[in-house]
Amino acid sequence: MKEFIATFHTHADAIVAHRTLTDKAIDARMMPVPRKLSSSCGTCVRYSADESCAEELKTADFETIYNVEGIGKYSVLVKGEEDD
Amino acid sequence: MKKINWLLVVTGLLVGAAAVALTALGNPPNMGFCIACFLRDIAGATKLHSAAVVQYFRPEIIGLVLGSTIMAIAGKEFKAKAGSSPATRFVLGFFVMVGALVFLGCPLRMVIRMGGGDLNAFVGFAGFFIGILIGIFFLKKGFSLKRTYKVNTSEGLVLPAALVIFGVLVLAVPALFAFSESGPGSKHAPFFISLIIALVIGALAQKSRMCFAGGLRDAVMFKDFNLVSGFVAVFIAVLLGNIILGKFSGFSTYLQPISHASQLWNLLGMVLVGWGSILLGGCPLRQLILAGEGNGDSAVTVLGMIVGAAFSHNFGLAGSAASLTDDVYKAGGIGTNGKVAVFIGFAVLLVISLINTKKEAK
Repeated sequence: MKEFIATFHTHADAIVAHRTLTDKAIDARMMPVPRKLSSSCGTCVRYSADESCAEELKTADFETIYNVEGIGKYSVLVKGEEDD
Repeated sequence: MKKINWLLVVTGLLVGAAAVALTALGNPPNMGFCIACFLRDIAGATKLHSAAVVQYFRPEIIGLVLGSTIMAIAGKEFKAKAGSSPATRFVLGFFVMVGALVFLGCPLRMVIRMGGGDLNAFVGFAGFFIGILIGIFFLKKGFSLKRTYKVNTSEGLVLPAALVIFGVLVLAVPALFAFSESGPGSKHAPFFISLIIALVIGALAQKSRMCFAGGLRDAVMFKDFNLVSGFVAVFIAVLLGNIILGKFSGFSTYLQPISHASQLWNLLGMVLVGWGSILLGGCPLRQLILAGEGNGDSAVTVLGMIVGAAFSHNFGLAGSAASLTDDVYKAGGIGTNGKVAVFIGFAVLLVISLINTKKEAK
């Protein structure tokens, strides 16, 4: 089991992602985006899963999926479409 | 369980200290910083309205935006982006300003007034919190102004560049602008001191993401008290600063500086501000900071706030402060136009909230 954080362009997308993951019985929760990941103050979804769930999260138009490597340590795993 | 975000606490303490210092240096009482009031003064200085007592090109606004720009560029976080319902954001900025000027202050000045012992501001805070809860209700239902997109860097620099040009013009050709000779607009700290203090605060606000609406939103939605710690820090610093300088004379609703005791309108004005700020994703201060780091939508929101301020004074919507002249007490408060405008604001925010809330399949 690994820890991931997915960021989104809007709060509404984060809600969709959170629902998608919980519907699949994946342990997920919504929270403010950690400052290290962004200067914007949006909402992200943190979840525990065996793999990144990038396919499932595509419907929610995710921005980036990060690996959580430790407290305050993240690495970029997958970038969403049309990302800058 | 959670670590304290010291950057936010330090930023909050410095914002509070800066506010007290700016007032000691000449800014109006309990108005060391006020994004709404300062944008209103800028609208006056540029003759978008002609209320003679609130005209001054506030360098604090230039400093906050530029401080954010400089810090964002230094931290490689300057990202030009736009396209998230700019016209709707303009309207939201407009009504946030209408609400703020009914109350007489943005959320930042609300906290500064609270720290100054102004109990009317505590009523405003209750309204602000109610507005935030209404906004959160729609957020949870799926409210969205849709995403931003990457745009040319120049788009992200529009507001910072415009403010630099205005700043140069104010210094080089002051005769172009209106300057109040009495009232709050005539009270100001020296130009460059205000500018430098605001540059530092703008940079820190960019780094810490300080936001008064976001703090309460995160606390309510996620039990995350990071951002709200900045809010508390401003209050404590202002309270202590006022006590140290001997400016604090207890808590009261009576004759507070640039404040009125029409509590229903203090409350309703700030409901409008809280609700609008949640729909926008940040309070007026945060809009300045986001505009500084390249967000074109926030720049449009700031323009909406400036136009809202101009309308507020051209149409007599803004609250008038309580005053005591020759022993004659005037309660101040809100005129009929202002009351109607607040309710138009509620109607507009309700329509915006409803039509931008996605109907989910389940």
